[in-house]
Amino acid sequence: MAKILIPTALRQFTEQQDAVEVTGATVGEALAALTAQYPNIKKNLFNEQGKLRSFVNVYVNDEDIRYMDKDATELEGNETISIVPSIAGGSTAVAEPQAAALSNEEVARYSRHLILPEVGMEGQLKLKQAKVALIGAGGLGAPLGLYLAAAGVGRIGIVDFDVVDASNLQRQVIHGTRDLGRKKLDSAADRMRDINPNIAIDKFDTGLSSENALEILREYDVVVDGTDNFPTRYLVNDACVLLKKPNVYGSIFRFEGQATVFAYQDGPCYRCLYPEPPPPGLVPSCAEGGVLGILPGLIGLVQATEAVKIVLGIGETLKNRLLLYDALSMRFRELRLRRDRDCPVCGEHPTVTRLIDYQEFCGVRPMASEAVPTDGAIDVTEVKKKLDRGDDFVLIDVREPHEYQIARIPGARLIPLGELPKHLNELDSDADIVAHCKSGARSQKAVDLLKQNGFRNVRNMTGGILAWSDKVDPTVPKY
Amino acid sequence: MIEIEKHAWDSMVLHAERTYPDECCGAMLGRIQIDKKVVTAAVAMENSYEGEKGARYELRPEDLLSADKEARAQGLDLIGIFHSHPNCEAYFSETDLKNSCPWYSFVVLSVRDGKFDHARSFLPDLDQTRADREELIWQKS
Repeated sequence: MAKILIPTALRQFTEQQDAVEVTGATVGEALAALTAQYPNIKKNLFNEQGKLRSFVNVYVNDEDIRYMDKDATELEGNETISIVPSIAGGSTAVAEPQAAALSNEEVARYSRHLILPEVGMEGQLKLKQAKVALIGAGGLGAPLGLYLAAAGVGRIGIVDFDVVDASNLQRQVIHGTRDLGRKKLDSAADRMRDINPNIAIDKFDTGLSSENALEILREYDVVVDGTDNFPTRYLVNDACVLLKKPNVYGSIFRFEGQATVFAYQDGPCYRCLYPEPPPPGLVPSCAEGGVLGILPGLIGLVQATEAVKIVLGIGETLKNRLLLYDALSMRFRELRLRRDRDCPVCGEHPTVTRLIDYQEFCGVRPMASEAVPTDGAIDVTEVKKKLDRGDDFVLIDVREPHEYQIARIPGARLIPLGELPKHLNELDSDADIVAHCKSGARSQKAVDLLKQNGFRNVRNMTGGILAWSDKVDPTVPKY
Repeated sequence: MIEIEKHAWDSMVLHAERTYPDECCGAMLGRIQIDKKVVTAAVAMENSYEGEKGARYELRPEDLLSADKEARAQGLDLIGIFHSHPNCEAYFSETDLKNSCPWYSFVVLSVRDGKFDHARSFLPDLDQTRADREELIWQKS
């Protein structure tokens, strides 16, 4: 038996074995035995014509078979066969790959741009050479990705670690029903390549963090912030100020949106507008507060427009202006913004000169504290047992009435969190009380409130009605 | 994602700076974890390209073979290749792509005026038609 050593990357095809024993009178037969045993390895070693791929070298012991009898090199049966790639390269002395011209296909594709004097051939080449970073492939990222790809932005980097969930499809139009469960990065990139195969897409399968933000964003000309939380928003802001990159900002909530351009041509940054983050929990996320599905489409396209204008160097951007949009009244307003000379990051004497811990800055507690059951927590399956046994206890649903209409647990009493203080006197402070909400965050506040008011036996149902749907009753819809 | 431990990174930068103005090359050894690759050792190799080495490199397969052996002996895996681009962006050039291999991470170090400037990592595809960017993290000196 000859032993074939398997390179690390190919062990996924050999059940993780680093060496495979095969029989064969020649090298060709030995490799055929390997591919017969593990068919999936074949396309890594051989091309469609059945020839060894150009980068594959085969060594018997320490000899290259090209200098022996190639495939016909005979084996006695005790040899070690190694698969070694040939690798070379080089910068070939040119600087950045230059987009010196458009192909005929591109001229046809971009013709409506090319006949605009403000864009023209010069502008389209600027777009082709532009590098834009998209933070998030969600509500704002969806229209941004679609239109920046279509406009011909040559390189688009996307940072996202999430997967497509059913609740995304109401607004994140870059993903489709068939993409449920896929990484948003993959789903978005496929759609963008379909729209425009001429562009390059860099996929960063990670959350943006203080450790990686400068490294990732350094290479892009424009950063577009499509995030939905305060820690990342401050992180993107500070990184853009430190790297001197324009930060095209947008945010959405329920029926209202905002957009502007920060850290651009001596304009203000996000911290000039909001030096401190709001207390945690004060501003609900879209998952908690809801959002009109069309809203991110509109705000995202305001951002896409600003990004393209910055690349082209045309028109007047939103620098120094915060655009406010209200979908219900269909009104746009503007607030004047000014750079703050005392801004801790972009002011005259900055105190923030490197990236900090933004979770801590925004007072966000680590997720782990919510997942670990504490004294005041009860699992959904325990609640189910209590209900089935007919235990004497009160199950309080602290969500809003419209949520109650979507999904509810039979036997629960609806008292929205905001109404709870008014109803305290209706509850027995000695009673066995369990509070629940959608995911467990609001009901924890209810539990805290009840305990502060002398209720002794109060517990929070971990994971809320979402966990109930997962573990107890899948017919209860998740929203 | 590929993460390069400090001493491995330091030796890669040193090799790139010492080889300047020529391109340097070498191999990266480490482990593939569930969520990332971790490089724990770098092996400097000789640029065996015959000709002007300022903008080209070539790895001897024999050197890779011995690096692979060394890795196995240490219980590590050969997980990546690195090379430098003197006075040039750390991008994955057409030459890099056409002489690449999809089994490894390719880290490119840009060296300007003899000093390390920036680096990026790439994952070429099987047909040598495109290379995706890979997130690269190293422990700073």
